[in-house]
Amino acid sequence: MLACLCAVLWHLPAVPAHNRTGDPGPGPSIQKTYDLTRYLEHQLRSLAGTYLNYLGPPFNEPDFNPPRLGAETLPRATVNLEVWRSLNDRLRLTQNYEAYSHLLCYLRGLNRQAATAELRRSLAHFCTSLQGLLGSIAGVMAALGYPLPQPLPGTEPTWTPGPAHSDFLQKMDDFWLLKELQTWLWRSAKDFNRLKKKMQPPAAAVTLHLEAHGF
Amino acid sequence: MGGSRWIHQDNISCYLEGVQIHGEQLDRSVTAFELKNVSFIRKKGTNVFCKMEQGGVLGGIVLFVSKVLQEPKDFSCETQDLKTLTCTWDPGSDTGLTKQPSQSYTLFESFSGKRTLCKHRNWCNWQVAQDSQETYNFTLLAENYLRKRSVSILFNLTQRVHPMTPYNLFPKNVGATNATMTWKVHSIGNNSTLLCQLELLTEEKVIQQHNVSIKVNGEYLLSELEPDTEYVARVRCAYTKHFWKWSEFISQKFNTAEAAPSEAPDVWRNMKMVSGHPTVSLFWKPLSKVHANGKILFYNVTVENLDKPSRLEVLSIPAPARSTELTLDQCSYQIHVTAHNSVGPSPASVIVVSGDPGNEEVEKGRVNGTEDGFSVSWKPQSGDATGYVVEWCDGPQDLPCVLQWKNLGPNTTSTVISSGAFRPGVRYNFRIYGISTKRMAHLLEKKAGYLEELAPSDNPQVVMSNLTSHSFTLSWKDYSTESQPGFIQGYHVYLKPKAGEQCHQAFEKTVLPEDSVCCKYTIDNPEQKTFVVENLQPESVYEFFVTPYTSVGEGPLDAFTKVTTPDEYSHILIRIILPMVFCVLIVMIICYLKSQWLKEKCYPDIPDPYKSSVLSLIKSKENPHLTIMNVNDCVPDAIEVINKPEGSKIQFLGTRKSLTETEFTKPAYLYLLPTEKNYSGPGPCICFENFTYNQAASDFASCGHFPVTPQAPPPQLGPLTSPENLLKALEQNYMNSLGEIPAGEANLNYVSQLASPTSGDKDSLPTNPPEPALCSEYKMQMAIPLGLASAPPRENSSLSSTTLLGQGEHCS
Repeated sequence: MLACLCAVLWHLPAVPAHNRTGDPGPGPSIQKTYDLTRYLEHQLRSLAGTYLNYLGPPFNEPDFNPPRLGAETLPRATVNLEVWRSLNDRLRLTQNYEAYSHLLCYLRGLNRQAATAELRRSLAHFCTSLQGLLGSIAGVMAALGYPLPQPLPGTEPTWTPGPAHSDFLQKMDDFWLLKELQTWLWRSAKDFNRLKKKMQPPAAAVTLHLEAHGF
Repeated sequence: MGGSRWIHQDNISCYLEGVQIHGEQLDRSVTAFELKNVSFIRKKGTNVFCKMEQGGVLGGIVLFVSKVLQEPKDFSCETQDLKTLTCTWDPGSDTGLTKQPSQSYTLFESFSGKRTLCKHRNWCNWQVAQDSQETYNFTLLAENYLRKRSVSILFNLTQRVHPMTPYNLFPKNVGATNATMTWKVHSIGNNSTLLCQLELLTEEKVIQQHNVSIKVNGEYLLSELEPDTEYVARVRCAYTKHFWKWSEFISQKFNTAEAAPSEAPDVWRNMKMVSGHPTVSLFWKPLSKVHANGKILFYNVTVENLDKPSRLEVLSIPAPARSTELTLDQCSYQIHVTAHNSVGPSPASVIVVSGDPGNEEVEKGRVNGTEDGFSVSWKPQSGDATGYVVEWCDGPQDLPCVLQWKNLGPNTTSTVISSGAFRPGVRYNFRIYGISTKRMAHLLEKKAGYLEELAPSDNPQVVMSNLTSHSFTLSWKDYSTESQPGFIQGYHVYLKPKAGEQCHQAFEKTVLPEDSVCCKYTIDNPEQKTFVVENLQPESVYEFFVTPYTSVGEGPLDAFTKVTTPDEYSHILIRIILPMVFCVLIVMIICYLKSQWLKEKCYPDIPDPYKSSVLSLIKSKENPHLTIMNVNDCVPDAIEVINKPEGSKIQFLGTRKSLTETEFTKPAYLYLLPTEKNYSGPGPCICFENFTYNQAASDFASCGHFPVTPQAPPPQLGPLTSPENLLKALEQNYMNSLGEIPAGEANLNYVSQLASPTSGDKDSLPTNPPEPALCSEYKMQMAIPLGLASAPPRENSSLSSTTLLGQGEHCS
């Protein structure tokens, strides 16, 4: 025990010195990205209410839960908990980045079809914010030294309904787009919270370690 | 309208915008719904969907409600340069269908077989082919998801040329009355000629129009322009070969240069006396824009004395002044007024004025106002009138006069004076002047009138005077008939008589608005401002009220003033009582002023021995013990009655006084002192002192001592002189002498003095004459009332006899 204490005391001054002189690391970027997801989540709540009223009933009913018929192309946010826990940082960030890239494209298509100027303005504002989140994730990935995923040429997702796509199914897709976006924002908040904890400075761990030994 | 092909289950329900709808089940898996009058709810469409009761939505459709696609209207095509055709149309109202694209327009040309999808809803460009196609047959096809509409036109290209708007339009060489305009046009094809129209406008009205044929450059000289005027020149052009449409206008503003004013200013004058000097106020109207020909900078006023040669006086008055004032003398002056702008002066306006104000006593008349103004007419001046001037003030009389005038020709005898400033109920005074050949104005007539007469707005302040029991006078002399809102024609005098009294003859019975009855008298002379109300009852209350009236009506109904007629005789009483009171006052004042004299005459003062100045003299010089005898303490010892009228008079007075101031119930016994034996020293005695004789008698006379013992008279004296007898004798004598004194009141102290033996009454002094013969010096006796105020000394001195006591033997 004495040896452990001596070892800790030997290493203790080294940690703040490292923090003072070196790069702050991805911690602040992760925190900012986390904050941004929470902000977008709040912003989407207002936007979704307006848009679902625009679609009309039953899409604006609270218990509306349509089958996911034409929204299979949307990136799914829901995943098995064990799988989610086992994701490494790079894969976790990559999935986030790819999901928002697709969702942003779909959202811009939604904006083009909106009939009212006010709705178009709200959607455009949200798209700008989502673009910011995408850049923030890219920044975290760059800070951690991960490369950005490259989109395959010719596979850019579009939100243009085909001839056989009925207007009602289109509305259901719009519904699912907003719902999936909301789920992704929840998941991202958890992802970045996890990353944030993981990227905490080692000093805190040392302190916890000392306390544990104390008891 | 629609059909459901989902697998039929009993727990499936269908909804239209959340409201359940019921359809007709056609077979096991098909249900038909009929929807009527589906209204427009939102651009995103109306949702019809079906769901299981315990599950999610199975499916649905969206119903779009939109307006009908209309056939394009006013479809036409034209070219500006023979290279591009521009086709335009009116698409009608938007269908409101949000499905993209909601409606599309396609242009199809049948001869060439070409087609183009238009990018805009109401116009489309078509490139003219190089193969010199002249005729075109266009079909415009409008379509959306629900229907299609088309419209066609056939035309020749050269007949649809609409030139482009000309450009570079500029004025050149702009003078006061002319300017040259230049412009350019876009060429159409090769060597094409365009017809251009040049228009000149001022104040948004076209005043000139010129057509010019040009190829590329246009130029035109505009003339007959007004100096210093803003003009707008505009140009448009058309294809000369086949006129189709004018191009759009191009416009350009420009101003012509200034020129000298073309007309003399309209000048008028107003003469008045200021501090004894004739003063002329000159007024002029600003020149109209047409005549000013530029901005007027100043006015020159030149004054020339016509009566004696003198230097011209020139005044320069900067614009925009419209008047000036000149102080002159009694001479005549010719005044020239010119207006100047940057180019030069205007012609001069000449007016002649004189220090003599002229005849102001001219004919006065009235003028009627109409909607157009005042129609003023006058008698033509017999002579050489070169014109007339009508002068008036625009404002009401109580406001400063804004002098207005109107010049009229020599053959005019009437005119209509109109002004936007004229108001109903305001008196306007017009003065008509004749202008002589010497340019001098003479007042001809005065007119007054109202644009519209109104009823008087206020009533005069009436003063009531000369109130008697049968009449009183009303007057309102301060009431000005000139400043009323109409010509005052007279006055109405309203009088409320006492209850039950009838109106007098001159009055007429009338009913007031508040239903009270009163008497009305009409005065039809506006200058009569007094009225005597007569035939009234004394001691009665009357109420009166005076109001003027015009042709429109009378003044407002004000409060009546109460007056009470006095008693019929009160004035007579006043006429008598007042002088009487005055006279009494005068008499009282005179009496007061002459009171001393009256007192001496009627009521003289009786001297008081105690207050005699002699007494103090005696005291201080000779005997400090000298005092005045108190009559109450003295008993006369001898009485000598002297038959002397003055004495009786004095006794009478003394007796009356003693009646009130003594209380003797019995007459005092008077004894004569027979011998010195009876003398028992100083005792009560009677001492009459008459200072008139005092000084002379004191040397040789001595006063006898008369011891008096009233309570116990000496018995030895009884036989000699019975007191009763003596008293009786005295009383008798006294009564005889006075006569009117009642016997019962004779309880007096009779004071006697020793008479001279030679002159004494033998009956009263039979045997024992008093020894001190010196006492025979006393001349007179008198009665001194007890406590009587001192008689006036003069009265004492007038009495020739008094009793003197010897020195050192005075009474104590």
